[in-house]
Amino acid sequence: MTMNSRAEASNIELIRVIVNYGLGSKLIKAAKRHGISGGTIILGKGTVNNRLLNYIGITDIRKEIVHLAAEKESAYRVLEKLNKEFEFHKPNHGIAFTTTICGIFGTKTMQCKSLEEESGADNIMYHIITVIVDRGKAEEVIAAATKAGSKGGTIINARGSGIHETSKMFAMDIEPEKEVVIILSEADKTEAIISMVRDHLKIDEPGNGIIFVQNANRTYGIHK
Amino acid sequence: MSVIISKLIEVLYSVLPITAIVVFLNFTLTPIDTPLLMRFVFGAVLIIIGLTVFLLGVDIGITPIGNMMGSAIVRSNKIVIVVIAGLLLGFFISIAEPGLHILAGQVDAVTSGLIAKRNIVVVVSIGIAMLLSVGLARIVYNFPLYKALTVLYGIIFALALFSSPEFIAIAFDASGATTGALMIPFILALARGVSQLKKDSKSSEEDSFGLLAIVCTGPIISIMIMSILAKTDKITGALPATETLSTSIITPFLLNLPFIAGEIVIALAPILIIFLVFQKTAFKLTRPALRRVLFGILFTFIGLVLFLLGVNTGFMEVGSIVGYKMAAIDNHWYVILAGFIIGMVTILAEPTVNVLTHQIEEVTSGYVNRKAVMVALALGVALAVTLSIIRILIPQIQLWHYLLPGYFFAVAMTYFIPKLFVGMAFDSGGVSSGPMTATFILAFTQGVAEAIEGANVLLDGFGVIATVTMMPLIAVQILGFIFKIRTKKGGLNDNEQ
Repeated sequence: MTMNSRAEASNIELIRVIVNYGLGSKLIKAAKRHGISGGTIILGKGTVNNRLLNYIGITDIRKEIVHLAAEKESAYRVLEKLNKEFEFHKPNHGIAFTTTICGIFGTKTMQCKSLEEESGADNIMYHIITVIVDRGKAEEVIAAATKAGSKGGTIINARGSGIHETSKMFAMDIEPEKEVVIILSEADKTEAIISMVRDHLKIDEPGNGIIFVQNANRTYGIHK
Repeated sequence: MSVIISKLIEVLYSVLPITAIVVFLNFTLTPIDTPLLMRFVFGAVLIIIGLTVFLLGVDIGITPIGNMMGSAIVRSNKIVIVVIAGLLLGFFISIAEPGLHILAGQVDAVTSGLIAKRNIVVVVSIGIAMLLSVGLARIVYNFPLYKALTVLYGIIFALALFSSPEFIAIAFDASGATTGALMIPFILALARGVSQLKKDSKSSEEDSFGLLAIVCTGPIISIMIMSILAKTDKITGALPATETLSTSIITPFLLNLPFIAGEIVIALAPILIIFLVFQKTAFKLTRPALRRVLFGILFTFIGLVLFLLGVNTGFMEVGSIVGYKMAAIDNHWYVILAGFIIGMVTILAEPTVNVLTHQIEEVTSGYVNRKAVMVALALGVALAVTLSIIRILIPQIQLWHYLLPGYFFAVAMTYFIPKLFVGMAFDSGGVSSGPMTATFILAFTQGVAEAIEGANVLLDGFGVIATVTMMPLIAVQILGFIFKIRTKKGGLNDNEQ
């Protein structure tokens, strides 16, 4: 159980890297080589800066958004290495940024302090709960979350692999399909939602998914 | 510009292999006359430019139209509308398809007019219309694809018992001929548009494929029924001779241009008209969005015309000459090997393959990699062409010796592999018989048949497309099987499903 161990400060970082289509898998592979246990890729579309193409409407460059999570020191170390390898400082080579995670469940390689302290101290009203599960289970996640008082959730299709899911076909890595569920919850309901989802989807057993929580500094459009 | 360049690179990867193989053969085993070779190279350039423009056009034109239409039809929430929309869309798109008119003309010729061209065009279009309705209804009622395919191929098997071997070949070819480069992206997008509304993400994903597979059975069933009703069991006539060769390099392209452009205008017209009707009544797109779609249609038109011009004028003759000269070599292993390699590289340049593999990647968020599907398809078609050549070399082998066990195996496999791959596999069958296969591979095998004594160019020519359509069903399903084995989580008890 990851929940019980407490560290001094919020110490997990979420790394997000936006790269051109096709680089996502390579990036995860490189990150794994540097010690990160897994990652999730979401497909996205980028924009072009060209007036003619904009007029015609050929504007979609396919992108991949890679999500990796790691403890702060190793996150920065890995990101530095990835930066060298993928040359983010050059134009059109991708963008990387990190944000802070204040709670993570479903992985043994990272441990994080519990949530209550965080929300108490900063008077944060809302949390962003992100749940990554196998394809087809997002509905269950939302059902469980709703039972615990969540108002809804957004599902994004993704693919990715953790430490248990490294398989190869010929020279090609296979990354299983995932679903990412994003739920905005009121800070006092977060605990209930998370424990409900953890129970229902057995997140604490290895290979069943991952949950992480981030603070939302400001929200609009949420109605009570 | 990077959008266009990345498309261009993708196209180069798919067209250069076949170009390189033919040029290589020219300097080694099968020298080609200089004007022909020049025309081939010029054709390859047209194909590269045309394919790039076409695919860009499909991305911003045909695919969005199909997606929006699919969603709009289902949002009506009335089965009557789904069925009627399926019938109308299927009928008008199919009746405008140039491939169908060519095939109908051929059937008319070989039956000495017993089955009139106009009747075939109308009957096949009705067949496609009905099965498009069935396919759409299947998605909204959650009827499993593998069961639907079992029923449909069961009907085909039953009809085949009453049809002559020649007509079985023609019927299966018809399914490849009618689902052309415009219809396929549209139907794929339509299926995606309908199924993306589903809340259950698994079935939403699975049902993004399989509509094309169902539509493809339409022409087979309708032609078989026609031949049984018309009681034509023998092929009596002969095909009219093909046009004479010319030594000029550019002139044939110019002569073909207005003809091809006219065909594509007619083929695109129904999609454009239906889109404009929907735009007025249902879509109500903003100006930039509307402009984007219209540019997409324009690009689709320009690209497809350039592509077909390159294929028909530059590639076809070369295909038949390479086939003829290869088969004339005493050692038949050469022609068998050549068939394998040509099958493998031709399918890569098929426009619809590119569209399907992109949709697969998008729907599965990249889990099913394009390259993996391409490899499976290439190997499948390579084997199919090899089998077709062997059939020409050994007259004892009949087409149904391939089709019967092949389709039986393909349908049986649907019960064991991940359901996602069932739709993909059967869709890729329809996809693999696009304009490239229908010209280059067909010309190659006909060239081989001409050189082999005792082979009948006409009879052996029919049925090649059928074999090419069949093998990907098996190849992609085997790929699915490998994926199934490989995606298990290591070190864990697989407690899913």
